[in-house]
Amino acid sequence: MLNRLEEIRKRGLEKIGEAADLDKLQETRRELTGKKGELTEVLKGLGKLEPDEKRSVGMKANEIKTFFADKIKEREEQIIASQSALDEDIDVTLPGTMVPGGALHPITQMCYDLNDAFLSLGFEIFNEDDISSEKYAFDNLNFPPDHPARATMDTYWIDGTENKNGTERLCMRPHLTGASVRYLLQHGAPARFVYPGRVYRNENTDARHERAFFQYEALVVDKDLSFSSGKVMIQTILEKVFGRKIKVRMREGFFPFTEPGYEIDMECLVCGGKGCRVCNNVGWIEVMPGGVIHPNVLKAANLDPDEWSGFYTNIGLDRLVMMRYGVDDVRLFHSADLRFLSQFK
Amino acid sequence: MKVSLNWIRRYIDIPADLTDEQIAYDLTMRTVEVEDVVNTAEKYHDIVVGRITEIQAHPNADLLKICIVDIGEAEPVQIVCGGSNLYEGENVVVSKPGSFVVWHGEGEPVKIKETKMRGVPSYGMICAASEVYLDPFFHDDDERVIVDLGDTPCTPGQNVAEVVGMDDTVLEIDNKSLTNRPDLWGHYGIAREIAAIYDLKLKTLPHISIDRDLPGFPVDIKEPQKCNRYDALVIDNVYDKESPLWIKSLLINAGMRPINAIVDITNYVMLAVGQPTHGFDRTHVVDKIIVRNAAKGEKLELLDGNKLDLTESDLVICDAEEPMALAGIRGGRKDSILPETTSIVLEVADFTAETIRKTGSRFDEKTDSSIRYEKGIDTERVDLGISVALSLFNEVFPEIQLVAYGSQYPVHTEKQIIEVTQDFLDRRLGTVLEKDEIKKILTRLGYDIEFTDNGYMVTAPVWRSTGDVSIKDDVLGDLARLIGYENFEAKPFPVNFEHAVRQPKQNLDRRLREYLAFRCGFNEVFTYPWIDEKFIEAANIDVSKAIDLATPPAPELRHLRQSLIPGLLEASMKNLRYFDEFNIFEMAQVFEKGEMHPSSDEETLPMQSMHLAGMLVGNDPKMLFFKAKGVIESMAGYCHMEEITLKQETQPGWADNGTYLNVIMDGEVIGDIGIVSVPTMNNAGIRRTSIAAFELDETKLVPLASRNNEFKHLPQFPLVEEDLSLLVDEDVTWESIREAIKFMVKDLQFVEEYRGKQIPDGKKSVMLRLKIGSDEGTMNAKQIDRKMKGIISALQKKCKAELRDE
Repeated sequence: MLNRLEEIRKRGLEKIGEAADLDKLQETRRELTGKKGELTEVLKGLGKLEPDEKRSVGMKANEIKTFFADKIKEREEQIIASQSALDEDIDVTLPGTMVPGGALHPITQMCYDLNDAFLSLGFEIFNEDDISSEKYAFDNLNFPPDHPARATMDTYWIDGTENKNGTERLCMRPHLTGASVRYLLQHGAPARFVYPGRVYRNENTDARHERAFFQYEALVVDKDLSFSSGKVMIQTILEKVFGRKIKVRMREGFFPFTEPGYEIDMECLVCGGKGCRVCNNVGWIEVMPGGVIHPNVLKAANLDPDEWSGFYTNIGLDRLVMMRYGVDDVRLFHSADLRFLSQFK
Repeated sequence: MKVSLNWIRRYIDIPADLTDEQIAYDLTMRTVEVEDVVNTAEKYHDIVVGRITEIQAHPNADLLKICIVDIGEAEPVQIVCGGSNLYEGENVVVSKPGSFVVWHGEGEPVKIKETKMRGVPSYGMICAASEVYLDPFFHDDDERVIVDLGDTPCTPGQNVAEVVGMDDTVLEIDNKSLTNRPDLWGHYGIAREIAAIYDLKLKTLPHISIDRDLPGFPVDIKEPQKCNRYDALVIDNVYDKESPLWIKSLLINAGMRPINAIVDITNYVMLAVGQPTHGFDRTHVVDKIIVRNAAKGEKLELLDGNKLDLTESDLVICDAEEPMALAGIRGGRKDSILPETTSIVLEVADFTAETIRKTGSRFDEKTDSSIRYEKGIDTERVDLGISVALSLFNEVFPEIQLVAYGSQYPVHTEKQIIEVTQDFLDRRLGTVLEKDEIKKILTRLGYDIEFTDNGYMVTAPVWRSTGDVSIKDDVLGDLARLIGYENFEAKPFPVNFEHAVRQPKQNLDRRLREYLAFRCGFNEVFTYPWIDEKFIEAANIDVSKAIDLATPPAPELRHLRQSLIPGLLEASMKNLRYFDEFNIFEMAQVFEKGEMHPSSDEETLPMQSMHLAGMLVGNDPKMLFFKAKGVIESMAGYCHMEEITLKQETQPGWADNGTYLNVIMDGEVIGDIGIVSVPTMNNAGIRRTSIAAFELDETKLVPLASRNNEFKHLPQFPLVEEDLSLLVDEDVTWESIREAIKFMVKDLQFVEEYRGKQIPDGKKSVMLRLKIGSDEGTMNAKQIDRKMKGIISALQKKCKAELRDE
């Protein structure tokens, strides 16, 4: 009898192993431990046995029943683990479903990166209108009356106003700096603000020159500001935008609205300062003119130059983006060409 | 401007350990931007002096000779040459193998190799002037004439660049960085800066005083405010000859072609001290020099016979009869130095910057002379010019005679005197400098410094006193740059916590762009504000209120945009060459006649407002329209701004009949959505596609003070979802269906609209999905049934809807 039980255990184990899916396994369970199963048969026949044998066979049969239950459970887990949610094999190297495209213009992206950096330092954002007047674009900024930039060869004057003067002579703003006086007239000092935007120059265009391009200017006005603070600011900003320390150098420069004025060069990101075609082999790229605000400009903003001082930083956005990505034609920014724009996510 | 370091060396001794590159770097950091450093000797590499010791006949060619040439090496070399002017003992120019020459003076340089000519070995080549960049120094009228160095001091083997003075380094300086520095437009000025940077000694220029007993020459300045000084020197016994090599090479390296000794000297003076001078042939000048405004209708005859029309504001140099030159800008026929010239009137004069700028820009003419006068030259520079000129004339023409001298000097440049306090310097420099240190630095630049109780009385040098230096900030600037901006310790900003930046409108602008780009899948584009009128006409925009440019990039681009639609039409047209389906948007200002005063009442600007527009391009106009509508409908929610609504009120010029909506805010139309009409598409040159467009006046959108998301409790009792299929008349709108039952349901959605075989003409089927529920408990079948009946009867009553059999 005990031999028969061992036989049942052995065959049962084989059957459990052979069950290929959960249905088959269920069938096997019925066969082995169900009401009509062999083991039940054995237990049913216990009464006919001698008491000693009855006990040992009973124990054995129950032990096998538990054994089967464990093995079935084990097999069940095995079968579930090997199942797939799909009823077919798929080529996982096929391309994924596209996320609908869409992106900000690379200039906007750079502008927002800079906004984030300047906002973190407590700067406000200010916008000036694109059409300004000679008074704000030149007179306030200490441009001499016969400065060549005032000529129609350089600036886009508005038809019908080109022969007038001051507030009546209107232009597409040739730079952002005029906005600085507008802001200071509205808000007074101390002030720290940025004013990004598009500016316009009457120029012949080529890969490096555009008639409409983007600038990003920042101005800080406070008491007892030394111009060297400007360098800290630029370093902080560039570090935030590019995610690493960027070497900068400050050198002599001249602008009517600054005294002293300086140029800020950043290390060429293309060659890392070693010298390459992009940086004309000098390792530095001129990106930011700047300087201490000229006393005459402060006066135009109704501020006392003996009390207040400050400094400008003007970032050429087009140039910075060209630098960031190695773009070699500035005209692409106004091309609206999606083959170009869709590259910038 | 090109600066020759050989020239600079005439004024300062440059220490041996100071490299040319270092000078270029420090000048860039302290003074002016050096764009390039060029070694002029490079192209003369391995081109050396050779002495012909022996000439033999060539066995196979009559025109060729075999020359034995000493080129300074251990053994003389053999060179085959066809030169017509060969003789034994001649010093010639030899291109050794490995050097480059320009063959017959034309084309790209070619590398010289050791070779055989008609069977005879030849080591390099004996050169003609144009073959080795020596034509400015030696003439070769015939290409068979080789360079004969004659008695030019030289030794065999010596590099020829050294012989002629081309062993130089040229710094190319960005002229823009020089605009404010009239003193730097000559080598002496640059030398002064270099001397100041490295604390070197600047040599003084020759000073030649003019004999007071000389006969006078009549000079009459009629406009002293335009011409502050005019000196005329009459010099006899000059003639047409070439300048010595050293003058030629310096001129060449400074970017000027040698012409003849007289002209070269005037150019040299200008390049040396920045003072333009002008030579008139003495025989052309009738009696005297008059500096006056041109008379009305007067003309200046030019060398080429053309005549320049003058106006009464043009300053001219005249003799007793007529204008000879446009002051400080260019000469006329009468001022030319000719081969037969033997006596000259040398003009050394000071014209004011404004005069030269005005006349120069009227004639659109910039000359080496006018760009210098435009910067503002001091009147004392005339003395320097005269001294340098006379010392050169004496050197080049030992036989000359200064026979007459005239001078009018009505206005003297006043040195600027500026008070600078110690406190000002300390605060603005952010560091405290020793008084003596400040004095030392400024003195090097030519300032005179006197200490006062609380600072300095600073007298600017006369060469900086024509506008460049006038206020204490200018003095500060000079100090800062000479100390070096990099040498100031950078001071961090003070922190304060009082002023948190809060600019909801700026945030909204950004959210709008990010919403369109990131949620709606649009690409942002930028187009120009000047729009091709073809696209303005296509979009049916009335240009009577347009703002125009006085000098547009092209005649058809004169209108500034009043709407972003025309620019986006053009952008769509261009992109359709490469893509069938895409979405683009632009946020930019538009312009229209009107009045606004952003900063002060005295300034009136035209109306300018920020617009936001987009286009969806594809093949299914209906789908595109509803996509565009969805973009606008969801905008307020996602961008956290006040609600906008859509309603059909007025048809935009570019929109399809019927398929448009207006964007409404507070009862005002602030924008449009629509399908672009067929005529607009045709006129814009866009075919076989559809476009849905929208445009909003972005300035009208109002940001919420904060996010307005609202929390509602999750429904306590289950909702029941039901689909209804309705049969309604064609003219029943979704809006009327929604209005009929919206108060009876917890949620209502449009599923689809259907017209087809099973639907009678004039009818349509509308399928909707609604959710009903009760706040008091779970609805039972009876309650659900009653509620549904109510809904259906409302639809029947208000929309004449029938329930379709499923």
